[in-house]
Amino acid sequence: MEALAMKDSAISQNGTERTLYPYVTGTSVIGMKYKDGIIMAADTGGSYGSTLRYKSLERIKSIGKHSLLGASGEISDFQELLRYLDELVLYDNMWDDGNSLGPKEVHNYLTRVMYNRRNKFNPLWNSLVLGGVKNGQKYLGMVSMIGTHFEDNHVATGFGNHLARPILRAEWREDLSFEEAVKLMEKCLLVLLYRDRSAINKFQIAKITEEGVTISQPYALKTHWGFSAFQNPSKGAEGSW
Amino acid sequence: MDLDLNAPHSMGTTIIGVTYDGGVILGADSRTSTGMYVANRASDKITQLTDNVYICRSGSAADSQVVSDYVRYFLHQHTIQLGQPSTVKVAANLVRLLSYSNKNMLQMGVIIGGWDKYEGGQIYSVPLGGTILKQPFAIGGSGSSYLYGFFDQAWKEGMSKDEAEKLVVKAVSLAIARDGASGGVVRTVIINADGVTKNFYSGDSLPLWHEELEPHNSLLDILASSSPEPMST
Repeated sequence: MEALAMKDSAISQNGTERTLYPYVTGTSVIGMKYKDGIIMAADTGGSYGSTLRYKSLERIKSIGKHSLLGASGEISDFQELLRYLDELVLYDNMWDDGNSLGPKEVHNYLTRVMYNRRNKFNPLWNSLVLGGVKNGQKYLGMVSMIGTHFEDNHVATGFGNHLARPILRAEWREDLSFEEAVKLMEKCLLVLLYRDRSAINKFQIAKITEEGVTISQPYALKTHWGFSAFQNPSKGAEGSW
Repeated sequence: MDLDLNAPHSMGTTIIGVTYDGGVILGADSRTSTGMYVANRASDKITQLTDNVYICRSGSAADSQVVSDYVRYFLHQHTIQLGQPSTVKVAANLVRLLSYSNKNMLQMGVIIGGWDKYEGGQIYSVPLGGTILKQPFAIGGSGSSYLYGFFDQAWKEGMSKDEAEKLVVKAVSLAIARDGASGGVVRTVIINADGVTKNFYSGDSLPLWHEELEPHNSLLDILASSSPEPMST
């Protein structure tokens, strides 16, 4: 693994480096608007290739007073982003003018950062979900590693795009209560746990409302294996799966 | 490399075969993946070759299935001609023959286990390339990387049936905890003089390891039961 051929090396002709592939990665993040604000969920796993190496990673963080950021992809790049955002929020506070960065502003900043890095062929290898509430306005958006960005009522990254979004399209409503939103979120998380190789059974659900941010302690979900078809699948077809 | 539905079906897998005083225990996980997607979360990787010999399959699902099918067919004929159950050694060598002579095209690593009246319980490993190795216990598949240290410490000669089965279930469960390509349920097959017993240990009945948590029906239950502390900022 260490002895990469020269052509695989990230140090090109002009001596600068660029990211080729991610190492420690987080999997899907799901976000949706509900009655009082935004709810976001992710598991706490950090995969190292196919090894489930880290099991207590927090992939959802609060930004300023009004936003939540969830990230999938390379964890070191996410941590770098958090540093940038920290500085942004600090400067914002230093103005001491009573204004504070809302989710729309943070989303825009992230878009600029991601797109600029993409143009230098040195992307931050993440898919980001940014959600928040300011002055009663709910906001939920996504930014990808190439700078593609958009807002929607429900978003998901990675495998969530393929497995969670169809469920959300069918069952999401504008006026979901917190309890209903959590149940819908858990329905998506369970499918991801069954079908995404890099998912682990340890989740955090975060919510943001006008009142503030709450990020739950990590918890696990019950899985279901009691189908009669699972007992003896090769019965009558020896050698099948 | 996200949802590549044309990626070959491969059984990332953890497979184990262990001899004990009286027979063998075969164990495996149940996850079959197509790239990063879990195509089957409850597959049966321990396949029957004869009444007394079973095979644990890993690697390409297609390759291992078709080789098992051929070997089952040959062994059936062999049993008829011999007039008695085939030996484990013959079954293992048939697998080896096919694996070795098609080594450039096949991608499978298997563990054959069974019981016959001449040698009792036996385990044979046939990894990539078609080598055959008789061993007191064998581990294979991507999840086995996480078990070498475990078996170095935990394996003992002459275990009882229950001790051996507990060891196998514990090992597969530990591999599932760390290998993304292994998951689902733990299936075991016990083969001895009395016959064959198949068992099934589902996800929620397996022990919890480091940094794994007790499962709940929903976050709402946790919030309802203990008010002050669950949420933090």
